[in-house]
Amino acid sequence: MSRTAKILSVLVVALWLLMAVAPSLLAPSDPLAINPTQAFQKPGLAHFFGTDESGRDIYTRVIHGAGDSLSIGLAATALGMGLAIILGTIAALSPRWLDEIILRVLEALYAIPSLLMALLIIAFTGPGVGPAIVAVGLSTAPGYARLVRSQIRSLKNSEMLEAATVLGRGTWLKVKNHLIPNALKPLLALVTLGIGQAVIWAAALSFLGLGTPPPAPEWGAMLSAGRTYLHLAWWMSLFPGLAIVAVAVSATVIGRALGGKVKSL
Amino acid sequence: MGTIAWAGRKVGGALVVLWLVATAIFIAIRLIPGDPAEAIMGGPGSQASAEALAAARAEYALDQPVLAQYVLYLGKLITLDFGTSYSLKQPVTQVMGEVLPNTLWLSLLALAAAWLMALCFAAAATRSNRFGSWLGNLLEIIAAAVPHFWLGAVLIMLFSSALGWLPAVDNGSAQGLVLPVLTLALPLAGFLTQLMRDSLAEAMGSQFALAARARGESRLKLFWRHGLRHAALPALSLTGWAFSSLLSGAVVVEAIFARPGLGRSLLSAVLARDIPMVTGIALFSALVYILVMALAEGLERIINPAGDQR
Amino acid sequence: MSEKTLITVKDLSVSFEGSPAVKNISFTLSAGRVLALVGESGSGKSVTARSLLGLSGGTVNASELGICGQDALGFNDRAWQKIRGNSISMILQDALMALDPLRPVGREIADGLKEHSLLSRSERKQRVHEVLESVRMPHPELRAKQRSTELSGGMRQRALIAQALAGNPQVVIADEATTALDSQLTALVLSQLRELKDQGRGVLMISHDLAQVAHLADDIAVMRQGEIVEAGPAAQVLNHPQHDYTRKLLRAVPSGVPRFTSLSATSSPLPAAPVTDLPTAPLALSATGLSKSFGKQMAVDTVSFELPQGKTLGIVGESGSGKTTTARMVLGLQKPDSGTVDLLGECFTPTTESERRKLREQMGAIYQNPLGSFDPRYSVGQLLADALSRGKTKRVESYRQEVTQLLEQVELSSDLLSRSPRELSGGQRQRLAIARALAPKPSVLVLDEPVSALDVSIQATVLDLLDRMQLETGTSYLFISHDLSVIEHMSDSVAVMHQGKIIEQGDTATIFTAPQQEYTQQLLSAMPRLR
Repeated sequence: MSRTAKILSVLVVALWLLMAVAPSLLAPSDPLAINPTQAFQKPGLAHFFGTDESGRDIYTRVIHGAGDSLSIGLAATALGMGLAIILGTIAALSPRWLDEIILRVLEALYAIPSLLMALLIIAFTGPGVGPAIVAVGLSTAPGYARLVRSQIRSLKNSEMLEAATVLGRGTWLKVKNHLIPNALKPLLALVTLGIGQAVIWAAALSFLGLGTPPPAPEWGAMLSAGRTYLHLAWWMSLFPGLAIVAVAVSATVIGRALGGKVKSL
Repeated sequence: MGTIAWAGRKVGGALVVLWLVATAIFIAIRLIPGDPAEAIMGGPGSQASAEALAAARAEYALDQPVLAQYVLYLGKLITLDFGTSYSLKQPVTQVMGEVLPNTLWLSLLALAAAWLMALCFAAAATRSNRFGSWLGNLLEIIAAAVPHFWLGAVLIMLFSSALGWLPAVDNGSAQGLVLPVLTLALPLAGFLTQLMRDSLAEAMGSQFALAARARGESRLKLFWRHGLRHAALPALSLTGWAFSSLLSGAVVVEAIFARPGLGRSLLSAVLARDIPMVTGIALFSALVYILVMALAEGLERIINPAGDQR
Repeated sequence: MSEKTLITVKDLSVSFEGSPAVKNISFTLSAGRVLALVGESGSGKSVTARSLLGLSGGTVNASELGICGQDALGFNDRAWQKIRGNSISMILQDALMALDPLRPVGREIADGLKEHSLLSRSERKQRVHEVLESVRMPHPELRAKQRSTELSGGMRQRALIAQALAGNPQVVIADEATTALDSQLTALVLSQLRELKDQGRGVLMISHDLAQVAHLADDIAVMRQGEIVEAGPAAQVLNHPQHDYTRKLLRAVPSGVPRFTSLSATSSPLPAAPVTDLPTAPLALSATGLSKSFGKQMAVDTVSFELPQGKTLGIVGESGSGKTTTARMVLGLQKPDSGTVDLLGECFTPTTESERRKLREQMGAIYQNPLGSFDPRYSVGQLLADALSRGKTKRVESYRQEVTQLLEQVELSSDLLSRSPRELSGGQRQRLAIARALAPKPSVLVLDEPVSALDVSIQATVLDLLDRMQLETGTSYLFISHDLSVIEHMSDSVAVMHQGKIIEQGDTATIFTAPQQEYTQQLLSAMPRLR
C-alpha cells in the first residue's frame, strides 16, 4: 500500500470512529428533535442534507446514525468472522474426515444466500437489533469460513512450512513462527472487507423493517422511511445511502489494499 | 463414464444439502420457546385461532415423539407438501407457484444483463491506459459495494422522478422491468467485471496470446478466440453463488419497486413468522442454487475439460 | 551456391520508455542456415526476436530491417500481420503455456491458416493434418481434436512446432525452444529444427545455453546487455572465442568439465584437497527398497542407493521419473509405502516424527526455486538467525557474528542483511538457501534441481560454491537433476531413474563412458555436448 493510500485510509477510519463515538462534535444538534414546521426542507445552508417528514435534520441523523450502523456492523462481523475463523481453522488443520464433514456443512449453508438466511433466522427469532446482529453474523459466516479454510490450507501445505520441517522445527514452533503470523494479514484483510459487507446487510434488514426500530437514526431505517417520500424528498434517501456506500467502499478499498481477495458479497 | 459419475455425485450432493437445510429448519422450529404449534403459525404469542392451532398439531403430528415428527416432516417435504401458509391461508406450493415466475424472470434477466455489462467493461479495460484502469477499478469497487436498496432509490430518483423516462413501480409492462433489472444487475456486474478483467488481462498477456499474434492474429480475433473463454471461466464457476445472491437481492428489489415475487412473499412471511412459507422458500432457493451450480459446472466442463489447469 | 538472404538487420535498437534493451545490433540470416543468438537474461535476445515480428512492444529503430525481401521499417500493424505466420513465425518456450489450454490444438494450428489463406474448412483440416504429420505426430486426426493439456510432453512439443509451420514460413524463430526441456524432448526439438534447416528455411535459435546450440548452429552471435559482443561461424566462436564474455560463457558450461574444476573465474579457489578426517562408516545416507504409489500409479519402485560421507550421489532422470518423490521420502516429507532410509546409520524412516526430529539437523534441503521456502516476512539476516537459533529467535543481533560468517562463506555481501529475499537475484537467493541449509552444519544436503532455474554463468558460480563447501566441510550431497552435464560434473556416483526405478547405478566415469542399459545410452546420446 502506498504511503498516501495508508494515510488516507487511516484518516477515513478515524473519521468513522469519530462519527461513531463522538458525533456531537460534528453535529451538535439532537438527531431526534422534531420540528414539524421545517418538514421536507431541501438541502441548504440551514440543513446540509435537508429535513425529513417530521422536520428532523438529516445531516445530524446521518452523523449520529454512524454509531448505530457501525456498531451493528462491527458486532455482526465479530460474530460471523469469529465463527468463520474458528470453523475454517479447524477444518484446515483437522484430519481428512473431519475436514470433509465441516466442508459439506459449510457448502450446505453457503447454498442459502446471505440475506435469505438472515431473513430465515429472523423468522425464528423475531425482528430487532440483537436478532439482526445474530442474523447477519451467522449468514456471512459460512462464506468467510470457506475462505479462511483455503487460506490456512495453502499455508499449511506451503514450501515454507516444509522447509521449517526439514530444519527440524516442531509443530508448535511452526505454528507460532510461521503459520499464525502469515495467516494474520490476509485474515485482517478479510475482516475489514467483512465489516463493509456487514454494515450493508444490517442496513438492508433495517430497511426491510426487521432491524433497528424507528425513530433511531440508523441508516437503513432512514432509507426505509425515505422510500415513501422518494418523489417528494429525494434527499431523505440519498444521503443515508451515500453514507452506507462510503463505509462499504472504504472498507473494501482498505481490505483489498491489505491483500484481501474479491470473493463474497 | 466420467459424466454419469459426475452427474450422480451432483444429485447425491444436492440431496444432502437439501436434507441438511430441512433438518436445520426442523431443529430451529423446536428451539422456539413455547408451543410449537404457535411457533409454526405466526410465532409465540400469535393470534392464531384455536382451530388453526389444532389443525397444525394434527398436520405436524405434534403430540408424537420427536423422531416420528421428523420422519413425517421429511416425508411431507419429499412429496412436496409444504403445508399451508398461515398468513395467506393457501397451500404454500400454490403461493410459490404464483410468484415464482416473476422472481425467476427478474433474476435471469439480471444475470444476463450483468454478464453482458461485465464482458463489455472487461474488454474495454484491456485497451485502457493507467488512469483509465485506475478509474475503472474504483468504479467497479463502488458498483460492487452499492447496496440494492439504495441503488434502486437512486435510479428511481434519476430515471423516474427527474427524467420521467421509466416507471417506478411495477405496471406489468416491459419498461417496468428495466429499473429493477438494472438495480439487481449493477452490483453483480461490478463484481464480475473485476473477476473477468483479471483473467482477461492474464490471458491477453500470456504466452499463447503472443504465439497467436505471431501467427498473424489481430487483437480483435485474439479477444474472440482466446480471451473470451478465459475471462468467462472464473465468472462461470461463481455463477451458482451469483444467482443465489440475485435471489437475495430480489427480496430488496421487489420491496422497492413493489413487485410481486418470491422476495416479497418471503418478506411478508418473515414478518408474519409464517413458518411453512419460510420453509418452502428456503428449500426452494437452496434447490435453485444447486441447479444453477450444476449447470454452470457443466458449462465449465465443456469449455475446460482438463479441469483447473490454467 | 548462393544462399538467399532472408533477414537483414542493421543497427537495430529497441527501447522501452527510454531505456534501451537492444543497442545497434546487426546480423543476417540466410536460407538453409541456422543462426544462434546466445545470451543470458537481460541480454536483449528475446526482444530482438520479437522485433522481427513487430511484437517487441517497444520503440524500434534501425537503418535496415529486411524480412523475406520486404522492408519492414515502414510496417504498420496490418503489414506485420500479413507476414506473421506466413513468411516468418515463432516457436515459443513452454509448450504448455504457448498453446491455449482451452482450445483443441488443431484449431490453434488452423487459426494461422484462416488469416492468410482462402482455404475452405475441409482444406484447412487437411492442411492441419499434413503439418502434424510433417512433425511426426502420431495419430494426427485424433490429436488435432485434443487440447494441449491432454497431450503428453512430446506431443505438445510437436503441436507447438506445427502451429509455427502451418503457414509455411521461410523463417522460423525458436525462442528458448529447448530451455527447461528434458533431454529426450530437447533432442526431439533439435531434430525438428534440423529438418527445417534442411528444407531450406532460415532458423534463428535463441538460447542461453551454448551447449544446446553447439551442434545445430551454423553461425553464432553472442549478446550481452543489448549488444552483440562476438559473432561468426559456429566453429570459430566455440573453439576460438575472441571476447572475454564468450570465453566466460564457454567455461561455465559443465559438459565435459572434470570434477572439482571450477567453472567460473570469479569463484574463490577450491581447496586443493578435501577435508580428510571423515569416517567412512557409517554411510552418510542409505535408502533400501523405497516404494510409493499414488492410486494406481507407481511413482517410485524399490529404489535403493548408498551415499558415502563426503561424496556426491547424482540422481538423474526425466520429469516423471520419480526423482522428486524419492527426494521427499528421503527428507521424511513423504511417507513411503515400504522401504527404509538411514541417516548416519540411524533409522530415519520409518519412524515417528519426534524421533526423526532429533536427526533432522543432520540433513538439509535445497530447492529449485528457493523463494517459496522462505517465510516472506523474514529478511536475509533474520532467515539465517532463525536457522542458527533453531527457530528460537529471528533477531539478527543475537547472532551477528555467525550470520556474517555464513554470508561470507557463500560469497554474499553483508549489505544484504536487511534486504528481503524478494529483492535478490536468482543466484543470490540460491546462495542464501545454501547458507541457511548449512547453518546447522548438516552431514547431508539434498539438492533438488538446485541450478535448473539459473543462467549458465550464474549456475557456474553456484556449482563452484557447492564444490567448495563440500571440500571445506565434508558435507555429502544427494544431487538431483535432469541435466546430464551438471550431474557428470558434480557427482562421484550416479543413479539413473526411469519410471520410478533405478535402472542403472555406478560411479560416474563408468556410467558416462560405458552405459549398460539402453535407456541410459539413449539419454547420453541425446545430451548436448560442447566438449
